[in-house]
Amino acid sequence: MALEPIIVVDDVQRHFGKIKALQGVTVAISGKIIGLLGPNGAGKSTLLKCLLGLVPFEGRATVLGMSSATDGAAIRDRVGYMPEQDLLLPNMSAVELCAYAAELSGLPRTEAVQRAHAALYYAGLEEKRYQPVDTYSTGQKQRVKLAQALVHDPEILFLDEPTNGLDPKARAEMLELIAEMPARRGCAIVLSTHLLGDVERVCDNAVIMHRGAVKFSGTVSELRQTRGGDSEYNVSVRDSASDFAAALTQAGLANEVTSPVALRVTVDPALGPRQLFALAAAAGAQLRSVEVQRDTVEAAFLRIIGAANDDAAQANHDSNQAKVGVA
Amino acid sequence: MNARPPTTETASAVELNPTSAATGTAPAASTAAIYDLGYKRYVGHRVAASTRWRVIMRNQLSTAWKGWWRLKFPLGTALMISLVAGAVMYVSSNKLFNALASKGMGLKFSDGIVPFSMTFFARAGFIFSLTVGASVIASDAQSGGFTFYFARPVRPLDYVAGKFAGLFLATAMIMMAGPLFLACERLGLAETTSELIDLLPVLGKAALAGFAGALLYAALPLGFSALANKRRTAVALWAGAYLIAGSICSGIGLLTNTPLGALDPPTAITSLTFHLFDVEWKGRSAMVPMPYAIGAIALYVAIGLGLAWWRVNNSRSTGVGGAP
Repeated sequence: MALEPIIVVDDVQRHFGKIKALQGVTVAISGKIIGLLGPNGAGKSTLLKCLLGLVPFEGRATVLGMSSATDGAAIRDRVGYMPEQDLLLPNMSAVELCAYAAELSGLPRTEAVQRAHAALYYAGLEEKRYQPVDTYSTGQKQRVKLAQALVHDPEILFLDEPTNGLDPKARAEMLELIAEMPARRGCAIVLSTHLLGDVERVCDNAVIMHRGAVKFSGTVSELRQTRGGDSEYNVSVRDSASDFAAALTQAGLANEVTSPVALRVTVDPALGPRQLFALAAAAGAQLRSVEVQRDTVEAAFLRIIGAANDDAAQANHDSNQAKVGVA
Repeated sequence: MNARPPTTETASAVELNPTSAATGTAPAASTAAIYDLGYKRYVGHRVAASTRWRVIMRNQLSTAWKGWWRLKFPLGTALMISLVAGAVMYVSSNKLFNALASKGMGLKFSDGIVPFSMTFFARAGFIFSLTVGASVIASDAQSGGFTFYFARPVRPLDYVAGKFAGLFLATAMIMMAGPLFLACERLGLAETTSELIDLLPVLGKAALAGFAGALLYAALPLGFSALANKRRTAVALWAGAYLIAGSICSGIGLLTNTPLGALDPPTAITSLTFHLFDVEWKGRSAMVPMPYAIGAIALYVAIGLGLAWWRVNNSRSTGVGGAP
């Protein structure tokens, strides 16, 4: 069953002078943990600000059914935000900071303090919660930032580079916390990151942005299949991969021998692996395994961004040609 | 009321790490499992968004109270001023003192102590503005505080109102409580009921002078704290403006016999106080007419709050994400 979109963005545009930060972004975001990917300057932060109702924009955007243009405060009541940079107020302990955060989000004082303790326990800072946040290590600061973002029981969490600056162990623990959160806390997560491994590990959905536009939106498994259907296969044979490769080449199929008994083959997507089986039978090759070649998230991401760059270069080239023609 | 529709999710009913199962990742050993037992989504009421400035005000006060040098030191200074001035007032109204002094001199002197003490309370107020007031917004800019506030349903108006109200209350403890204490003491020293009734306006005048002082010494440093991104820079700017620019204005006003001295914050506040108490000051410092003193105080309060508003409103979105 398809999940109800939690964020709907329809033709959202945002300009900074002549710079178009968002160029008609249209996307419906659903899922439990959504990765928001894009290179620097892609428009992720601007989109985030538009969704939180912090900057004016053209178009329509709703979060949890509320309009970002008119209900920004109500949205921020129900959304938690963990920024990439520091936001820890000096001269405060973690408990005071989180309780203050909860109160600013509308929780009564007593409840805010209780929730602050609970959130810090959840984030694994039970021992350190009375110490001033200025004295924390990077990993502990990240945990406090996470705790302050979820202390008011948000329905959506925006996490901006939550694993930045963490050592491998702390990173794994942070990702574990993030992965468990939708089930434990009943909230959806929008994870903005450039670490594609993080997305691959915890996200079920992904949105890729580039140059102020959405280039991909869907599940992570769909992202890994964006090569244009299941057309590439990893094949292993019993005897000689090069003999079978010769037969494939003769039949007009692109291939690459990857080991003495393995090769990668590109087939007609319409025919699928049946074409392989027929050619193997004809060539007398015994197939040991046939697997669909799937991209990693990183490969898919780079291909999508690369294609967008190629399109932009082509459009630029066409535009220049047209100008030359006119001249 | 900013209520949220109730939900019924509880942690105890969910299985461990289902997301990793959904995404095909290996389930990791859960370190968080023992911590959130009994977690329930908050379904109670939420305080109205229009009252969030009070939360900021309370936090401003409690933060100022931490440590010895922020609020406690200037407050202690104000207490010492009150006690010393109170002792002087008591002694000067004593019959023995009156007998030693010329006719009526003692009583007149004690009447002048309340307004005269304001020059000292202003100094205590300045100390507090250095330790807390002039660094409020710069400190938040330095530490990422804007992100903390504005990723929540806090408006720039709530922020400025909360910070200003917190500073005002703390400054009022320093600049308003002392004069009020002295005014009460003066009433207590009245020998007859009719004298007591005659002296009653002293209370209102002391409160008004303290109120104006607290307004000025809360708003203007707050405005200066909006001019820099670093705490120390903001404090240095404020100290420079107060001590150097203020003294220059006061000096020029005195030399040229013009009301330019009103631009010196302590001159403005002491002039107002002296006018309220009908004290004619013939000392070396400038004394400006009451309308100029009131005008300067109002101007400075408006400038201070305006600067704070301008900075906070512009910085509202810069902290969220990396782009402007």
